Amino acid sequence: MIECSNLTHYYGKRLIFENLSFEVPKGRILGLLGKNGTGKTTTINILNGFLKPHSGECRVFGEKVQQMPAYMRQNIGMLIEGHIQYAFMTIEQIEKFYASFYPRWKKEAYYELLKKLQVAPQQRISHMSCGQRSQVALGLILAQNPELLILDDFSLGLDPGYRRLFSDYLRDFAKSEQKTVFLTSHIIQDMERLVDDCIIMDYGKILTQQPVKKLLNAYRTYKFNVSSDFEFNSPELYHPTQIRDEVEMGSFLVFDEMRQLLDSNGVFYQNLTAQQVSLEDAFIGLTGKY
Amino acid sequence: MKALFYKEWIKTRWFFLAAALVSLTLCEYCLLNISRITELKGAVHVWEVMLTRDAIFIQLIRFVPFLIGILASLVQFVPEMQQKRIKLTLHLPYSQNKSIGTMLLFGILLLTIIFFLNFLFLIVYLNQVFALELVSRIILTAFVWYLAGFLSYLLTTWICLEPTWKRRMINLLIAVALLRVFFLSETPEVYNTFLPFMVLYTVIVSILPLWSVQRFKDGTQD
Repeated sequence: MIECSNLTHYYGKRLIFENLSFEVPKGRILGLLGKNGTGKTTTINILNGFLKPHSGECRVFGEKVQQMPAYMRQNIGMLIEGHIQYAFMTIEQIEKFYASFYPRWKKEAYYELLKKLQVAPQQRISHMSCGQRSQVALGLILAQNPELLILDDFSLGLDPGYRRLFSDYLRDFAKSEQKTVFLTSHIIQDMERLVDDCIIMDYGKILTQQPVKKLLNAYRTYKFNVSSDFEFNSPELYHPTQIRDEVEMGSFLVFDEMRQLLDSNGVFYQNLTAQQVSLEDAFIGLTGKY
Repeated sequence: MKALFYKEWIKTRWFFLAAALVSLTLCEYCLLNISRITELKGAVHVWEVMLTRDAIFIQLIRFVPFLIGILASLVQFVPEMQQKRIKLTLHLPYSQNKSIGTMLLFGILLLTIIFFLNFLFLIVYLNQVFALELVSRIILTAFVWYLAGFLSYLLTTWICLEPTWKRRMINLLIAVALLRVFFLSETPEVYNTFLPFMVLYTVIVSILPLWSVQRFKDGTQD
């Protein structure tokens, strides 16, 4: 569905990412995770054709995004960060506007979702709350019935209730109709419930791309006690931090491998424990705290 | 195309209705002035003043089309650039140049209707007071102001759709230079010889907004 190869982009002299390559297979929900400034929205803008990368190529449905024929965009549902829509339109007007562009438009899907909002069809979008606007945006995407959805920070500004409603509807829609979804969000708990695969970005590169279940099965947070400053480092250890005599770090090594690594490098430790953690903790462990 | 016209109409209808009302009211005010002078001093006096002092009696509306053009563009395109909403239009499964072209066409059509109504209003009344040659003098003089209205609309759109502030400032300076040409002289019919060129370069300027949109799509930044 999506193939990006060797993407490199700068803003002025600041490198955002270099030689970024990834693929999104059909029928999967993939979440792009990363700290602020790692290039998530940049990636989304490149995918949507709103940014020409410095170098590299992005293809959606096999077509280069910058040269995609207009008719193919009917198969891509886009959500802009902040659930941006035409605020001067009413619920009814905006549905009428979009319906004329999409031959597979499902009006019922839109109005069924909006029934939950208890808003009148003549209500202007500018007079709605953030949560209500998010449902209008989601309803429009569901009605469009695209094969691929690209959603930028779908949970921005939403309270837990609306975030749950959005994720549940989205997942149900994607799984029941074999849709492909590429999304970003800062609320990792929502991502954990929603996505099949994840890409974790760090400054300039992809740290890992794998199914979420596989990541959570493989990643451990290790804690142990030391009697002096912990100065050992290894590519297999992610962001070791020490508070007083306790060291904490992340790793994909299993318990025995970790013990062997520490022993063979002369690290004196006590009370080594390994814990499987949530996606949020794994993300913080892999990318580091600020 | 109909859907885009529908969207633009919802966005701008109150502005265009207000612009039509205000411009027609100002035309009416000018014509009432002519009527008042004609009543007080006679039509001969009015004709004499027109011929000897290069007066056309509708100076009040000289900058009105220019202002309407600027405001029309702001009302139409500033909402599109707020939070980059124009992405919603550019993402539609419809040629992006055609989408922007349709939006521009909508604005031009509405301006044409308003300006046409202004002209109609002027012509119908002036024909009752002046000879054909004097009516033609007034209308040809006013034509340049209304052409400036279209140009100001296109140039303001070019500026609005530009994604970077630095380039917007440069575009603004260029726009001011291009528009100034239309207001260099107040002498009636002084632009007659240049009119075809002015129409031509107004048409050519209509491409500039598409260039701004291409820069937006490339993700050009300050």
